[in-house]
Amino acid sequence: MRTNRQIEIRRCRPLLGTFVEIQAIGTNAADLEAAVEAAFLAIAQVHRLMSFHDPESDVSRMNRDACHKRLRVHEWTWRVLKSAQEFSRNTDGIFDITMAGQLMKWDYLPRYGADSGAGSWRDIILEATNHVRFRRLLLIDFGGIAKGFAVDRAVEILKRNRVSAGIVNAGGDLRVFGSASQLVHVRHPAQPRRAAGAVRLRQRAIATSGIYFARTKERGGYVSPMLDGRSRRAARDLISVTVAAANCMTADALTKVVFALRRQAAPMLARYSADALLLERNGGPSWIFHPRCDTSRQT
Amino acid sequence: MTKSEFAFIALPISALVAPSTFAVQYLTVDQAQRAIFPGKSLTAAPAKLAPAQRKAIEQASGVRVLHDEQQVWRVSGGGWFIVDEVVGKHEFITYAVGLNANGSVKQIEVMDYRETYGGEIRNENWRAQFVGKTSQSPLKLDRDIKNISGATLSCRHITDGVKRLLAFYEIALKRS
Repeated sequence: MRTNRQIEIRRCRPLLGTFVEIQAIGTNAADLEAAVEAAFLAIAQVHRLMSFHDPESDVSRMNRDACHKRLRVHEWTWRVLKSAQEFSRNTDGIFDITMAGQLMKWDYLPRYGADSGAGSWRDIILEATNHVRFRRLLLIDFGGIAKGFAVDRAVEILKRNRVSAGIVNAGGDLRVFGSASQLVHVRHPAQPRRAAGAVRLRQRAIATSGIYFARTKERGGYVSPMLDGRSRRAARDLISVTVAAANCMTADALTKVVFALRRQAAPMLARYSADALLLERNGGPSWIFHPRCDTSRQT
Repeated sequence: MTKSEFAFIALPISALVAPSTFAVQYLTVDQAQRAIFPGKSLTAAPAKLAPAQRKAIEQASGVRVLHDEQQVWRVSGGGWFIVDEVVGKHEFITYAVGLNANGSVKQIEVMDYRETYGGEIRNENWRAQFVGKTSQSPLKLDRDIKNISGATLSCRHITDGVKRLLAFYEIALKRS
């Protein structure tokens, strides 16, 4: 048997409230299995730390106690918190992880204690490394950026375990690595079980946000979990936003910004060297953005 | 330096009109057994549920039991391997659960995932086409759609399925 023959394995587990799929290409089956297992363990770790549902997670501990005392959190939780704060600062609060109370009210998240009132990302105080405090009662939920972060960790582990190429897809937040490019289909915004088209990706992450699966009726009108942090209003348009960036957490966060700002998000996208695609209700693209300079910036 | 290849390729209208199905087979039963219990030997021990057991499982888990047969294997040295399926409005998922000797979940692996547009999944004929399918007889579905960006359906059905299987363990497997 030739030893340099490329083999591919593809596995899927329910994690992070969605289906997480890992495809890995290499030359040794046992090594690939071990690498994929290690990557799933990292994703499971992110799930344990950042689940809104699990009372033992860092996120639940913060929601319960961070307004009473300074809390120590896991290094990974800390990294997501820091990135979330940076996204909030750079988007003037369009991106905001403190809207879980609103999501709870519309049953996108399980009921959990009292509503958090009017706090915002500005009430999250990052103190010494790995330590956090809330200035008031807040309910935070990392949402998609935790998924993106998990994808990034999994890719890091696969690479470290000498997997030559692969894809990690956490419920539509995905990242491609290795030399080959991959075709990634994008759902039709109004008919999400159909693909509207595809984009080709190489060594890049992509995230798509739409409200197709999540839109629900609330007091006669539609609501969705896609909130603009400035107005706390829910997006109602059946459009979708796809963003490609160097890492998956950034791609996911930026979809929310483009949802809120559409074309005005261009400077933000440029800042992160990210591409964007806006699909209208009819499945056609109404805007495609490419950053002018190179896209190799790693964040 | 990685140059971006980001360009949108629209699908032709015909592709949009035809109902589409996204389907992947990840693992056969054999592969799932080796993935969850490497190096162990497994013995088939299919279980048939009496009406009273079905009812007890439903009461304990709060989840409906649709089949009175359950595909179960006993693992050498303790533990169980169970193959189960869940059907949602637009999805059909076969998955395997490995239980440790004490009944706790060791690992869950999705074996088959199919997502489809329209009501086909509720239709018995549509479902019957999957019976007896193995990796040797792959279904002819749109094999070109390999990766989709954009939310998948939630995995709530699997969460419920595992809850049901844990009740099944308590009621039908634990003392066997």
